[in-house]
Amino acid sequence: MSGLGRAVWRVVARWEVILIVLIVATGIWSATLSSFFLQRANLLDLLTPYIFLGLLAFGLTFVVIAGEIDISVVSTMAVAAASFAHLWNAGVNVWLAALAALVVGTGLGLVNGLLIGVLNLPSLAITLGTLAAYRGLAYLILGGEAISGFPTSFTNIGGGYIRNELPVALLVLCAFALVLGLLLHATRFGRYLYALGSNREAARYSGIPVTVVRVTVFALAGLMAGFAAITYLGYYGSVQADAGSGSELIDVVTAVVLGGVDIFGGSGSMLGVLLALILVAELRNGMQLANVSGATQDMVIGGLLIAAILAGNALRAAQGGRLRIKRAGSRKEVTQNSQLDSPVQATIET
Amino acid sequence: MSVRARVVSPQGLAETVFRLRELGIFIALSLTVVFFSIRATNFATAGNWRDIATDVSIVIVVAVGETMVVLTRNIDLSVGSIVGLAAYASSNTLADHHGMPLVITAALAMAIGLACGIGNGLLVAVGRIPAIIATLATLAIYRGVLFQVTHGENVFASQLPQNFLDFAAKTPAGVPSLAWIAIGVALVGGAVLRWAPWARDFYAIGSNPDAARLAGIPTTRRVMTAFAISGMLAGLGGFMFAARFASVDVVAGRGFELDVVTAVVIGGVNVFGGSGTVLGAVLGALLVATIQNGFTLLHISEFWKIFFNGAAIVVVVTIDALITQRLQENLRRRRRAEIMSAREQAAET
Amino acid sequence: MTKRRLMLPVAVVAAAVAVMAVAAGVGTAGSNEANASYKLFLIPKFIGIPVFTLNGAGAKAAGKQLGDTVTYNGPTAASATAQVTFINTAVQQGANAIIISGNDPNAVAPALKRAMAKGVKVISYDADVAADARDLYVSPPSAKEIGYAQVEWLGSQIGYKGDIAILSAAATAANQNTWIKYMKQALKTKKYKGMNLVKVVYGDDNDTKSAQQMQALLQGYPDLAGVISPTTVGVAAAARVLQQTKNCSKVALTGLGTPNQMRSYIKAGCAKKVGLWDEFKFGYVAAYAAHNVLDGKITGKAGQKFQAGKEGVKTVGPNKTVVGVPPLVFTKANIDKFHF
Repeated sequence: MSGLGRAVWRVVARWEVILIVLIVATGIWSATLSSFFLQRANLLDLLTPYIFLGLLAFGLTFVVIAGEIDISVVSTMAVAAASFAHLWNAGVNVWLAALAALVVGTGLGLVNGLLIGVLNLPSLAITLGTLAAYRGLAYLILGGEAISGFPTSFTNIGGGYIRNELPVALLVLCAFALVLGLLLHATRFGRYLYALGSNREAARYSGIPVTVVRVTVFALAGLMAGFAAITYLGYYGSVQADAGSGSELIDVVTAVVLGGVDIFGGSGSMLGVLLALILVAELRNGMQLANVSGATQDMVIGGLLIAAILAGNALRAAQGGRLRIKRAGSRKEVTQNSQLDSPVQATIET
Repeated sequence: MSVRARVVSPQGLAETVFRLRELGIFIALSLTVVFFSIRATNFATAGNWRDIATDVSIVIVVAVGETMVVLTRNIDLSVGSIVGLAAYASSNTLADHHGMPLVITAALAMAIGLACGIGNGLLVAVGRIPAIIATLATLAIYRGVLFQVTHGENVFASQLPQNFLDFAAKTPAGVPSLAWIAIGVALVGGAVLRWAPWARDFYAIGSNPDAARLAGIPTTRRVMTAFAISGMLAGLGGFMFAARFASVDVVAGRGFELDVVTAVVIGGVNVFGGSGTVLGAVLGALLVATIQNGFTLLHISEFWKIFFNGAAIVVVVTIDALITQRLQENLRRRRRAEIMSAREQAAET
Repeated sequence: MTKRRLMLPVAVVAAAVAVMAVAAGVGTAGSNEANASYKLFLIPKFIGIPVFTLNGAGAKAAGKQLGDTVTYNGPTAASATAQVTFINTAVQQGANAIIISGNDPNAVAPALKRAMAKGVKVISYDADVAADARDLYVSPPSAKEIGYAQVEWLGSQIGYKGDIAILSAAATAANQNTWIKYMKQALKTKKYKGMNLVKVVYGDDNDTKSAQQMQALLQGYPDLAGVISPTTVGVAAAARVLQQTKNCSKVALTGLGTPNQMRSYIKAGCAKKVGLWDEFKFGYVAAYAAHNVLDGKITGKAGQKFQAGKEGVKTVGPNKTVVGVPPLVFTKANIDKFHF
């Protein structure tokens, strides 16, 4: 390849650029599906229903880059939202209740972090359990009730509009993307995460406080779940204990994986996740406008999730060869990481 | 085999501990039954146990399949959607063909489940997609397929042939028909895991996938088999679901996977793979069903039931993991001691 | 992070923003054409069960007669937050009026109010929404009538005494809660004083859950004399459970059910009497109501009248409510006359 060709390739062959191409392509496809897609009001409002998904995805990104997984984030959001609603309904000031939601979210994340980071338990199994346990907690708090009627000053965060057109939530999302992006890409903490995800033992030997980092990353995911709860409450204006028990989890996971975050840890970027979120939102919006049913939409997202991982696998396989597609932060060699540490060494009798 | 020999061999130690596990669940189950018999009216009646048996049968059938998958250090979260799909297929077939023998319908359900399971297997074993992600995706995909096929419409009890509607209520020899199916599946599943060499490979793969591959086990094929079985049994579970509930809608079976995973985990099947038995899964399912039934009889709010399921998973996984870590340490220490003593012996000679 | 490494992501972001800005700028402002033909959106509690499918069919039939387009769509399960998505989509798609049966009266209100602010008319039907979030409410037969009737239907079967339970749908549905309120009121009157309400359980209009709740009732309250289930999904599931557990003669059942679903159970004696109304006509009248609101003929004031196609003249009552359909009662004697 010529020098120019290689330079162009280096720009084009980034995961994020591919995502942008997909976003544009999806936009064209959605426009053909429904003439309402290209209306300005629709485009500006594209992300508003999915802001809370985006915040959850940002939090999950940290966890996955560090080599773990947390599928309890949506349930954590439900508990945070339920706590907020319950407190507010009991007369507590709305902003204190919102603070409580953040504290609850962080606390639940901390529980995950302690079990996984300190006791060294497998993140998949534990968060599978907490996914169910936290959901139960939400039901214990709210029962079958729905609580609504929150003050507008509060709901404006998730559902308000500036000059009737620009969604506040969009600004919230961008602000978080910026701050968290800086945290991930420009601080030592972020570098620790990449190191941890690439090779935990090596990270430990290079002096990284592995336990503290792992606990923190789950607490961070929980904190983001708390913020997600606030935007959720703002957009929907109400909450029930079954909040997020539908397709939300798969959307969050797809946003993270599609965003170029390696499911085995060690690479990924906040920008990628933001772009992937836009793509997922765009897809859903387009399908919704075309009156495609929710179940079918979920099917498409599921297919997208699989395609994203297969693409990532293919990339990792090809990385040994000529073609190199860069993923932010990936420095490690192509090695197969087992998702879980093996608990019992099989002894091969000689 | 003397106890001494068992303890010395590393696998034997692990086996012993986890055989104790099943004993533990059995004791817990017995205690639970005694407790509720005393505290709750109507718990210890034949009618109540028939109810429990009918409900838990579906969980047991699917849990046997799930056990196989979890043994290989994977998980199958799509069983709920497979149950829904197979249930719809069963009901719809019978609604259109009243004379269809139930056995054929069950076979059809199992075939659909098998196809779904193979799909899962391809994604995980061939596509190298982590099972949690793959089955989360197929959970949505199979549910979507169900919607496409039904267009959102239901099958109603009024459309079904009477022999199917009566099937779940029959009690040959006093045991509900669905329970007979569950007993059969559990026995076959347990026997297969115990004696079929290809099934024994599941344990090896779950303990250490890389070592298993190096030892010559065709891991891809085995993992695919595990998922295929899980799908097939979920299909059978779907048939039983349709028999039990008659009316099948688009959301049939949603959330069922959590019930199955709870049963399997509580039953001592280790989530990192490598150990567990069908007996354990069955006991786990019985324990969960009994506690839930007891809650109902004691008029405890249903929300406590939901919380209990999740909390139980966390607690059991934590305890299991801690025990496993302790075991691992013990094994390492033992191995080190063996190597040290072997070296000393070699130095002396 | 070195400046060079930052350049690429920044360039990428800038490009993305530019693309979106261009798209947004180029995007057409939504047009709301002057119309002889309206766009009506019917959002049921959820899709997939006969009553709502019939609502949709009836509304579409009305739309055909009126020259309006009717879109029928909703979530797959009874969820208020899921309905919000459909409300917003309807607005995006240029709806002139939204006809909605709310899963929770307050949860859908903010989205409906936003729609109203954009000039969309909101007509609630079946399960009402918050009064300030709709222009008109098309009601089934009066809630008090439905509530009292079901208590009477059950009471007459159990000798007006015994423990009874209610198997409801969603805990948040306005129509369910209103009916239950009137049932409780009826139970306080002299005639029904011997009947004792021991439990209200919620099946969420989900067949499996309703069946499980019914089973739990039978297990938890072995002396139960009767069950009222004012939901077509619930009463069908309850009847099936009674039949499977051979309790038809022991526990009486009544409620709101469709003839097709309940026929075999009524004939078998598992539910001697259930009621409902013509759901097809219900949707039909609701669509006509929406059309008249859009035409400006109806503003919700008590006393206003409009012609609901073949269903005659309907009069608006207090609280912007108009009764859309008369009640029907199904027994063994007349069940074969109805086919929905």
